[in-house]
Amino acid sequence: MIELVDVVKRFNDFTAVDRVSLKIDKGEKIVIIGPSGSGKTTLLRMINFLETIDSGRMFLEGREAGYRRDKKGRLVMEKQDVICGLRSEIGMVFQHFHLFPHMTALQNVMEGPVTVKKQPREEARRIALDLLGKVGLLDKKDTYPAFLSGGQKQRVAIARALAMKPMLMLFDEPTSALDPELVGEVFTAIKQLAEEGMTMVIVTHQMGFAREMADRVIFMDEGRFILQGNPGDVFSHSMDNARVKAFLQKVL
Amino acid sequence: MEVGTKRPGVLKGALGLCFFLLLVPAAALAQPDPYEILASATREANSGNIGAALKAYLKVPAPEPGEDGGAFVRSRMEAAKICFSTAEYKNSASLCEEILSLYPENLEARNLMKQVTVAQTPKWVRFLKDMGTYFPTLLRASGMTILLVLITMAVSPVAGLFIALARISRIRSISWFFWCYIWVFRGTPLLLQLFFIYYGLPPLGITLSPFTAAVLGLGLNYSAYLAEIIRGAIESIDAGQMEAAKSLGMTYWQAMRRIIVPQTYKRLVPPVGNEFIALIKDTALVSTIAMVELMRAADQIFNTTFNIFILMQAAMIYLAMTSIFTVSFRKLEDRLGVYENR
Repeated sequence: MIELVDVVKRFNDFTAVDRVSLKIDKGEKIVIIGPSGSGKTTLLRMINFLETIDSGRMFLEGREAGYRRDKKGRLVMEKQDVICGLRSEIGMVFQHFHLFPHMTALQNVMEGPVTVKKQPREEARRIALDLLGKVGLLDKKDTYPAFLSGGQKQRVAIARALAMKPMLMLFDEPTSALDPELVGEVFTAIKQLAEEGMTMVIVTHQMGFAREMADRVIFMDEGRFILQGNPGDVFSHSMDNARVKAFLQKVL
Repeated sequence: MEVGTKRPGVLKGALGLCFFLLLVPAAALAQPDPYEILASATREANSGNIGAALKAYLKVPAPEPGEDGGAFVRSRMEAAKICFSTAEYKNSASLCEEILSLYPENLEARNLMKQVTVAQTPKWVRFLKDMGTYFPTLLRASGMTILLVLITMAVSPVAGLFIALARISRIRSISWFFWCYIWVFRGTPLLLQLFFIYYGLPPLGITLSPFTAAVLGLGLNYSAYLAEIIRGAIESIDAGQMEAAKSLGMTYWQAMRRIIVPQTYKRLVPPVGNEFIALIKDTALVSTIAMVELMRAADQIFNTTFNIFILMQAAMIYLAMTSIFTVSFRKLEDRLGVYENR
């Protein structure tokens, strides 16, 4: 469905993502793990065009997407309306939720469809209520984010992304900012989504979660994929690779 | 008005009165021409010899019944005026009374009597009376102050928002142009800008009414200030908000309009409230370009009455206006912050 070929992202002289290729198939659940600063989040943000790639190519449904070459042959991002169209197909959930604080939970979920898709308010409202019900927060629909717990906020954020009916969901460390006892409720929501067949890429430090639901686990370090495969293989072979071993010993 | 006396204050009317008493019988005997005495006294007065003039005036005898009293009235009147000018109100009054006892209808004497009465009432009584007299004038003038404040308050936040957005625009030339605009209007005195617009533009062929010039000056100046405040507020919103909006597929302007700018409202209230309070006071500057507003009215009345209470009254009106603002901005801030958990 989405394919990245040899993508590179540099911040000044630091290479965050170093010639990485990734093909995401429909319905696939990919979990990316790795130490902080390894480029996981940057990779995720590149998929959503929140970071511009410096070189490489991106394909959507087999067609090159998001970038073109200017007269001098340099890679430039497409015009805003093209990018916005692509982004609206991809949902993103952030580590720090980024809910809109001046809107209630319901308004947060309705905002995308109403503003971007110009959906009629009534229809958007129906869909939003449905999604809030799905993440178990119907009773919080009129609550402002500041009055929600971290877990509740993240579930609203998931509903907000889902309201756009994306074909792909990106989760950027969705539980890292949560108190341990709140992690479960967010995982339950993500797992439920996975069971419905949603394609997703998840960056996380929760190994149990990776093992439980990933079709493919990718271990990333210093901007490269060090190891990838199904969870069983990656975790059983992890001891062969010194870097993976060191990382897993730290987080497990 | 009581100006500094030009001769020693000892030579008062008492002395003058003695002369007067002594001279009456003598004058009656000698029968000198009263008009000649008057003329010589006037000469003394014209040459600046106030003391001598006063003595001379008092030499003019009172007319016998049926006689012409013109010289007598004139001389007593002039003497009364001299006494009034040297703050010898009692003598001035008694001279007037002298005239009025013979000619009760004499307008000049009556008027001077009135002035003597006013001059003899204590200052603070007069000042308090003035407050009642001039307060409606001040209130009417405040109407213009309020109008200027309201227009500037309506225009400058809107203009300020657009200038702020232009400043953070990635299009260099637009950003630079408004940087210059802010640089000029924030970096020079409002007074100078008002002068420039009102007095400086006519030679270039642009003549504006004082009102237009005042609105333009205040609007341009306050838009520049508010633009910087609004820019600061926009830039203080967490970058994650823009990213979250973009991740939903919003364009930059959709994100600004729906997500970023609405979040600045609450943060904007304290600094913008501050600016608007400063604005109320800054409207006083337009009094320099022929606008009649509260400050100008107060200044005009003060210049005719020298009544400090008028200035205090104007201060009270300004304070009342700023107090209303302070309270309502506090309320507005609380209302805009309902979504915050505090």
